[in-house]
Formats: sequence, structure tokens, C-alpha cells
Amino acid sequence: MNGVEAVDLCFSYGEMMIIRQASFGLQPGEILSILGSNGCGKTTLLKCLNMLLKPEGKVLVDNMDLKSLSGRDLAMLMGYVPQMHSPDFPYRVVDVAVSGRTPQLGFSIPSKRDYELARKALDRVGVGHLADKFYTQLSGGELKLVLIARALVQEPKVLLLDEPTSHLDFKNRVLVLKILREIADDGIAVIMSEHDPNLASLFSDKVLLMMNKGEIVRYGSAKDVLSPENIMKVYGLEIEVFEKEGARYIFPRLGA
Amino acid sequence: MVFKEIMVSVNYIRCWRPGMGFQKYKVALIFSPLILLILYLSMGKYSVSFGSLEQLLYSDSIDKTIFFNIRLPRAVEAMIFGACMGISGASLQTTLRNPLVSPYFLGISSGAAFGAALSMALFGYRNFFLVQPSAIIFALLAVFLTLSLSKFRGQFSPVSLVLSGMIISALFAGFLSLVQILVEPEKTQAIVAWMIGRLYTITWSDVRVSAPLALLGIIGLLHFRWRIFVLSMGDEEARSLGINVERERLMIILLASIATASVVSVTGIIGWVCLIAPHITRFLVGSDPKVLLPASISVGACFMLLADMISRTAWSFEIPVGVITTIIGAPLFLYLMRRAQNEWR
Repeated sequence: MNGVEAVDLCFSYGEMMIIRQASFGLQPGEILSILGSNGCGKTTLLKCLNMLLKPEGKVLVDNMDLKSLSGRDLAMLMGYVPQMHSPDFPYRVVDVAVSGRTPQLGFSIPSKRDYELARKALDRVGVGHLADKFYTQLSGGELKLVLIARALVQEPKVLLLDEPTSHLDFKNRVLVLKILREIADDGIAVIMSEHDPNLASLFSDKVLLMMNKGEIVRYGSAKDVLSPENIMKVYGLEIEVFEKEGARYIFPRLGA
Repeated sequence: MVFKEIMVSVNYIRCWRPGMGFQKYKVALIFSPLILLILYLSMGKYSVSFGSLEQLLYSDSIDKTIFFNIRLPRAVEAMIFGACMGISGASLQTTLRNPLVSPYFLGISSGAAFGAALSMALFGYRNFFLVQPSAIIFALLAVFLTLSLSKFRGQFSPVSLVLSGMIISALFAGFLSLVQILVEPEKTQAIVAWMIGRLYTITWSDVRVSAPLALLGIIGLLHFRWRIFVLSMGDEEARSLGINVERERLMIILLASIATASVVSVTGIIGWVCLIAPHITRFLVGSDPKVLLPASISVGACFMLLADMISRTAWSFEIPVGVITTIIGAPLFLYLMRRAQNEWR
């Protein structure tokens, strides 16, 4: 199939099984949100998808097995936005963004054209005005957007994001997710981990709910997956579901 | 009037933020080593006049000997030393994401010192042609030990690398003390003199020994400068951008070690240059390795020429350049650290 497909992914740190037989597929243009409690293996699953870890099983992008690709070829298919990035040196924002061209560049220094691509990507995620600032001076939300821009400069088919909305304020969360929606609409498959079930169901086409020990509880549309029974199973939390204008909203039932 | 001029330039330096641009300084970075070189060659106890360059070239005078066989090789070695230290320090600091790392941290200095001392103890301290290879071999051995010690679960982490470097340095320092205790006093003196680091013994044969490896290291590191930039983003991000992190980091460390060991083996351990030169450069042109690395070659060379000029001419007797760099280096580093603190983190 087109897009990205995971087949029977398993991963363990020593004796500890983290990912158990994960299988799912995603078409280009779709967003997949991975939900689950803290420490259930969401980050590990993402790192298995882009081979930062060495999982058993297969990951296919456009029917190509990622295990058979070199690091450089893989980087041209998949972009990765980490959860945390600690800037050590005061680099210019546009220099950080242009480093997304590394797989294409190899050892050479980026050209004017590469810098144009980087500026375009920064404009696209709405931080073009920061291009010539030092990225050590950015806020958390701005930094996230810069890292997303860098991943876009990679021109990937699949974009992985580890909790793109963590540590962001309410407005920036929505802003980041809106931008991800636009990116997906341009034909990129977006896979991200997310904590908020409401934002996940508003912005994503598919939801994957993970249990502790990496077991996939449900995979499918947000409506099917985020049912009171499943939420109870994963979080041990009773919820109330409201529907308005076709959208579902989930609230915890307090005092129950 | 002069006072006013000075105040204006001091004010300019004070208001000036690190990394304000490379283009403005490109010309200065290219020409300042050359200007300093001319100044260096014309200064000294014995004055060689430049008015008679033609005379200098075509005569057998003592001028010619001093100029071509004493001052020129010494100046060239000073520049090579500074260039190697500048670019190696800048590369390692960026790659390992730690502004306090220098090639000496990997065990190069104590390895080289032990190698030199061992050779002096066994074969006598006048046999400098044996001291060099021994110093370079033990310097690289120390780096090799540091690297293998820091390999943990098949991976190098920057932190474990720095810690292993400290351990290996301590080990070789211990061996060195042992050698110093066991040999005759005049050999101990020679070992101490070697360890301070000096340039007054340099001849063309020293330059021939160190230049090829130094050039290999410098050109190699320049070739890697874009990868060094990406590596400084962190291991996982570099890997997700298609870089084989372990292998390339190892290559960079080896190139920096080869460059450093090749010059240290002929000059002795001239301290602080590998830490100071990259930081002066960072202060001038910013942290981006694309410009930091080439610029640090020039800054390192200038720094060494200046330090050696002071060493040669400031007193009635010559003070080893290693003493000068350390005495200038420590307060200068403190100043740069205070200025740039916000920029590093």
C-alpha cells in the first residue's frame, strides 16, 4: 500500500517487552494520534518506526522495507520531531531549519537554494519572521515550530512527532495541530503521540490507543477507539461523552 | 585624541554581541595572520631589517641564517600549532556539545608528556628525534584508550567520553610522576621543560614532522564542518537526519587527535590555546561551525604568533611560550566565559 505500514513490530529493552506485536497502516494525507498513559511506550514506538531503535518486524513506506535502507535514504522518507530539544549553541533559526537538507547535502554546505527552501518552510509554519534570530532565544512553542519546519525541509513522505503539543499553551497547541493538519493535507502521513483525547479526535483520522507494556488496545477512527470502555481500560478513568455538531467531546466524570 | 579613539573602540567591543557576522571579518581573518607573521619575523633580539630583503636573500650573512633557519620555521610551527589547536578545539566542543572540552581532555596532553618523558628517560633527553615519535604514539594511545573506555553498550556518549578522558589523563599523569622520580635530576628538568611547552627548539625538521599530519587533520575537520553542525543537534536528531552518529563522531575525534598530537609532539604541551582560540573565535563570528571552524584556524594562528612574540621579546631572557599562553589564557577565558554565559546555554 501507499503510505506507511507497520507489521508485527516488537521491541524489548533486555527482558522488558515494550512494544508487543504492533500492526497498523496509514495513508498519505492522514494523521494518526498515539494515545496512552505515561511510560506506556509511545516514544519507543515512534523510535521503532524510524529505526532509531532496532525493532523486530517490519516498517514499510511505499512498500519499501526501512530496514533495508541506509540512514541517509531513510532520512529522505521520514522526518522526526523530538519531544525535547535542548539548544546548546546559539545557532540562527534558519541554519537549524536548513539542516533538514542534510540527507540531500551529504558533506556539502547548503546553497542559496537550500536556504530558500528553509525560509519557505519557516514561513509555512508561521515563524518566518524569526529566521535570523538565535534559536536559543525562542519560546517553547516557537522552537517546536522551527523543528517542524526543519522536518518539512527534509521533504519526507512520513512525519513523526513525539508529543508535539507538550509544554505548549492552549493557543499554541491548537496552532501546531492546525499546521500539522495542513501538512497532512499536502499528502504527508503524520504520526504523532498526543495526550489530549479531544484534540486527538478533532485533528486526527486514526487513533491508536496503547496499554502499558505496549499492547495496542484499539486502532481505528477516533469515534470507535475513544469509547468509555477503552478509556476505562487504559487510564482507569470514567468519562462522559458529549456530542455537538458531529464532534465528540470527552470529559472525566469527577467524584465518581 | 588617542584616548578618544581608544574609548570609541572599547565601546564598540563592549556593545558588540557574539556572532555579529562573518562577512565583516572575513578579510581581517585572512590577512591578520599574514600581517602578524611579518611583524613576528621582523621583531627580535637581533634586528633583521626588511629594507634589505634582496640582500637577505642573496647573501650568506648571519641575517639570512637567523631569518630562514631560526625565525621562519619557528613562526611557521607557531601558526600550525595555533591552527590545529583552534580547529580541533572548536570541532570537539561543537561535536561533543560541551564548550569546556578541548583535545587535551581526551588524554592527548598527558599521553604525549608520558611518551616524551619515557623516551628521555630511556634514551637521554638530547635525542629529540626519538622524543617526537614516542610522544605522538603515546598521545594517540591515550586517545584510543579513552575511546575504548567510553564505549558503553556499543555507544559513545559525550559525557562518558569526557569522564574517560579524565581517567586516562590521571593514569598517564601517574606514570609520568613515576618516571620523573626514577630518573636523574637533569632529566627531570628536561621533562618539566618539555611539558611547559616551548618553540625555541623548532627547526625545519620539526615542521616537516608535524605539518603533514596537521594538514590532514585540518583539512579533514573542514570537510566535516557541516556534519559537525548537525551532530551538535543531538544524537537522535542527527541520526534522524541520516547521519551515522557513532562513526562520524569517531572520525572527527580521530582527526582532531591526529592534528593535535602531531604538533604537541614537537612543541611540548602548550596549554590553553585549544580552549581559548575556539572561544575567541566564537566570540567574533558566532557558534555556527560553517564559519567557526575556518575562522578558528586563523584566530589560533594569530594567538600563537602573538604569544610567541611576547615570549621572545618581552624580557631580557626568553620565557617558554607555554607559560605565556597559560598566564594570558586563564584570565582571558574567565572574561570570555562571563561575556558569553547567556549564549552557551
